[in-house]
Amino acid sequence: MKLQSCAQSFLVALSLLFSIEGGAAAHAETMLKARINSDILSTDPGTKRDENTDGVVLHMVEGLVAFREDTSVGPLLAKSIVVSDDGLTYTFTLRDGVHFHNGALLTSKEVLWSLNRYLDPETHWRCLPEFDGNGVAKILSVTAPDAMTVRIKLDTPSPLFLTTLARQDCGGTGIMHPDSVKPDGSWDKPIGTGPFKFGIWKTGDYIELDAFNDYASRDEPMDGNTGGKKAEVDKVRFLVIPDSSAARAALLSGAIDVLNGVTPSELAAFKGRDDVTLDKHALMDIYAILLQTKDPLLQDVRIRQALALSIDRAALADAVSMGIAAANTSAVPVSSPFYGPVEKSVAPADIAAARKLLKEAGYKGEPIKLIANKRYPQMFDAAILVQAMAQQAGIKIDLEVLDWATELDRYSDGSYQAMSFSYSARLDPSLSFGAFMGDKALQPRKVWDDPEALELLRQSMTTQDKAERQALFDALHAKMLQQVPLIVLYNPAHVIATRNNVEGFRGWPTVQQRFWNVKIR
Amino acid sequence: MKTSLPQTNTFLGSLLIGGLLLLIALSFFWTPYDPLGLDLASRLKPPSIEHWAGTDEFGRDVFSRAMTGARISALISSFTVIIAVIFGTTLGLLAGYLRGWTDRALMTLTDALLSFPGVLLALGLMVVLGASQFGLVVALGLAYMPAVIRVVRSAVLSIREKEFIEASLVIGNSEFYTMLRHVLPNAIAPIAVLATSMFGWALLSESALSFLGLGVSPPTPTWGNMLASSRPYMETAIWLGIVPGICITATLLGVNLLGDSLRDYLDPRTNGS
Amino acid sequence: MLAYLIRRLVLTVPTFVLVAIAVFTLVRLIPGDPVQVMLGDAVDPSLAELYRTQLGLDQSVPVQFFYWLSHVAEGDFGHSISNGVAVLPLILQRFTVSASIVLVAVILATMIAVPAGLTAAWKQNRSLDTGIVSMATILLSIPSFWLGLLLLIVFGLNLGWLPVVGYISMRENLGQALLYMILPVLTLTLTESGILTRMMRASSIEVLRLEYVTHARAKGLAESKVLMRHVLPNAFAPTWTMIGLIMGHLLGGIAVIETVFTIPGLGRLLVDSIYARDYPVVQGCLLFTAAIYMVINLIVDFCYPLFDPRVLAE
Repeated sequence: MKLQSCAQSFLVALSLLFSIEGGAAAHAETMLKARINSDILSTDPGTKRDENTDGVVLHMVEGLVAFREDTSVGPLLAKSIVVSDDGLTYTFTLRDGVHFHNGALLTSKEVLWSLNRYLDPETHWRCLPEFDGNGVAKILSVTAPDAMTVRIKLDTPSPLFLTTLARQDCGGTGIMHPDSVKPDGSWDKPIGTGPFKFGIWKTGDYIELDAFNDYASRDEPMDGNTGGKKAEVDKVRFLVIPDSSAARAALLSGAIDVLNGVTPSELAAFKGRDDVTLDKHALMDIYAILLQTKDPLLQDVRIRQALALSIDRAALADAVSMGIAAANTSAVPVSSPFYGPVEKSVAPADIAAARKLLKEAGYKGEPIKLIANKRYPQMFDAAILVQAMAQQAGIKIDLEVLDWATELDRYSDGSYQAMSFSYSARLDPSLSFGAFMGDKALQPRKVWDDPEALELLRQSMTTQDKAERQALFDALHAKMLQQVPLIVLYNPAHVIATRNNVEGFRGWPTVQQRFWNVKIR
Repeated sequence: MKTSLPQTNTFLGSLLIGGLLLLIALSFFWTPYDPLGLDLASRLKPPSIEHWAGTDEFGRDVFSRAMTGARISALISSFTVIIAVIFGTTLGLLAGYLRGWTDRALMTLTDALLSFPGVLLALGLMVVLGASQFGLVVALGLAYMPAVIRVVRSAVLSIREKEFIEASLVIGNSEFYTMLRHVLPNAIAPIAVLATSMFGWALLSESALSFLGLGVSPPTPTWGNMLASSRPYMETAIWLGIVPGICITATLLGVNLLGDSLRDYLDPRTNGS
Repeated sequence: MLAYLIRRLVLTVPTFVLVAIAVFTLVRLIPGDPVQVMLGDAVDPSLAELYRTQLGLDQSVPVQFFYWLSHVAEGDFGHSISNGVAVLPLILQRFTVSASIVLVAVILATMIAVPAGLTAAWKQNRSLDTGIVSMATILLSIPSFWLGLLLLIVFGLNLGWLPVVGYISMRENLGQALLYMILPVLTLTLTESGILTRMMRASSIEVLRLEYVTHARAKGLAESKVLMRHVLPNAFAPTWTMIGLIMGHLLGGIAVIETVFTIPGLGRLLVDSIYARDYPVVQGCLLFTAAIYMVINLIVDFCYPLFDPRVLAE
């Protein structure tokens, strides 16, 4: 009897085990496999999202407008856009013959439904704050004069209105069929107009999209998120591979076809492989050492200057990125049109000058705690190098390695002495400066709190003239170098590795990966 | 034909652990290079006459780092064992000797602690305590403590019924004295055997936690974080992983072999020959 | 038997409550904020507040605890903060993945360890014994993820025989599933068979010394029969306990192996959610792991008499 009960308990356990999972997958003819480094957060555009989510979702949904390759904005679902002379009324004419994934034709009704859903606070659209009166411009009304026309009225003219609609983190303000939402109002799945439609999402494992054969393409060539699009493979599967070494192994063994974003330390393994092609371009992210100007020790500007002087930016950038990143002392990214002669001059390390400043400041080897994390290897590597370089000037740095969430917590509290950090890409230098400038009393995460500099920043945001803005950024840059609230180190490079059987995959100034017009042999 | 396994074990184990101790002792006075000294000009150099075990991604000498790492890894493992043994023995003695309510409460606590796999418990604690040597020692010590409590408790339960315990109480010794003088010494053998195993577990757990990103924070070298950070270079600079990997394996081998010898010595019954 | 079962189950309740409190406290002691991790450096304070309110994170910690515990008691583990998926189905799905690998590996390890340990004990102190014990000790001494990485490089990358990332469920495609399982299962089998072999050897040596074995031999019973009929059943009991312990610990997540081979199992779910501060998932995982451990312990205890006739006799 005991034997029986024992065996039974095992059988029950086993049968439970195999009954939990279900679903059989059909075999695809062609499947393109790519990697995302963490699972997507939802399939609902512009709500619960991160870069991976945006990248996947933008294969399925399309907005009225979208970014072109050069980060300007062009029409996507709109055939034409007419802006009234006062800049307050936008009239979008929709393209004919565009189908949703469920077969329905695109009309102004669905656009109206989608936009109203985004503007409903219950949707928790990430970009709602831009349109509710506190951001870019308040949307006063959305109307549909006829079946193919949509009209949006704003309270103030804004050159950023279309840009914001196109933003990836806003989900491209993707237009969806009302059936994307269940009858009870909860989210189901995106029924959009994109070249791929929703397939399967196995959380933590992969998300798979199917080609949408009735996709109505624009006539122009592919350009950013707009232009001609066609699904050239039956399926695209985004595999969740968090670990960068595992991702590299996956590409080299053929388990994935495209690796978008190779960690520099993994680069060596690709050398001499003729089955893999590497492609790289500069990103607008900024790696920097943040300094807490309120710290008893670091409030002395001479110590901060000495630390900055001790760092050999070129050697550091070279070492952390295996020679592919560009050293930069400025908050204006290397690939920005505002990266001028003033920003370009990267001062070499000057140990003697650093020692002299330290002596004046009466620095006696008090240790400075530098926070870093292992989640982003470049932040960690930069910290190690800064520690070693500072040591040459006689500055003692202790590393404190935290996990990323803890570091972020300290970042937003401002409770640190020094921190190795990275600001994500911002397309305009005003926004880059704005990321770390502000009132520390109100927002402890802000690094640079100088009234004069803040005034310069404010001016740069309202001025349209390019030369005038350049002058403002140059002045800001000079002030920043002098006050050293943070030490900008470099802008990273984005490396894409593709297997040679992949044809047509292109990188562009964002990290978003696009798999339309991509063939697999 | 008989090969004398126990003697060979003891010899080989002593050799490995002796070598380790020598390396540690030496590392206090001398390492070929500064284990933290960066040399960007000679990064990822394979083993050579200048760098016996090559250099890592920052041009640091791998051999020097392995020497220093030996010291830190051994210290972490030792302190983990010490914490687990001291607290585990105390609680185990209390549970086994006092029995009743104390025993039941302590056993519930032990069961609760045991129901988390050691590495998982340590993982959670490490995030709370921070990735430092101190945090690691406390986390692992706490994770291993229940095993000690159980072993000590069961040893005490079987000993306390023996006549000499009663005799000690009869001749007027206090319970506390009896516990220390008569009960504890009899529990030492199983504790010692367990302690050697725990030393090995701690070494393995340290490397596993480093691998998951939560070990001792670099640049302080430990074998675990050296092994973990060698991962991107596994095919291109194999010495980075091989050196700490072999160090860990050799040390564990030594500890296990000596542990076997210790068991044979303390409890000849299990070996026989 | 039934009464004993019920008594054992009742005894686990206080432990379980203690575990729940410990889990919740531990998770909330961790510095960091899930909303911040989600929003990164581009954090908009009003948006962050909105998320916090929505997730109930603006409530006091005791309120959150009682809310959570009362729902858990009803079988509702809540929803993931980062992607909104229900926690219990998520855990079960990931557990299936981990469990299929662990079960296969432990069964294989047992199949290797039992004969190896028995043989070593039988040939105690001969060269065969030395060989087996040395091998087992070496296997015991290798960090499992390092072994996994070495196997991955050799069989996955250099030879290209086996897939290096991912997992396919057995229901989806049995052949593919087995192919994907080879490397992680091999890694686990190797490391776990070391400790099991040593355990089996030690207990076999003890049994071999018992009177009834000598008696059986004296009766002229063939050596193979002595081993199979008398030694194996009696020596297996302690090994069985060890198998239970190993299973309990492995089922809680083989986070390290899952990271090496990119397997979406329970261990990786826990590690990822700790990093993301996804409280409901972390709490759910830890509680589930503890429950599994207790269940395995119960099963081991109930099956123990089968392998140890002495207990049966009592």
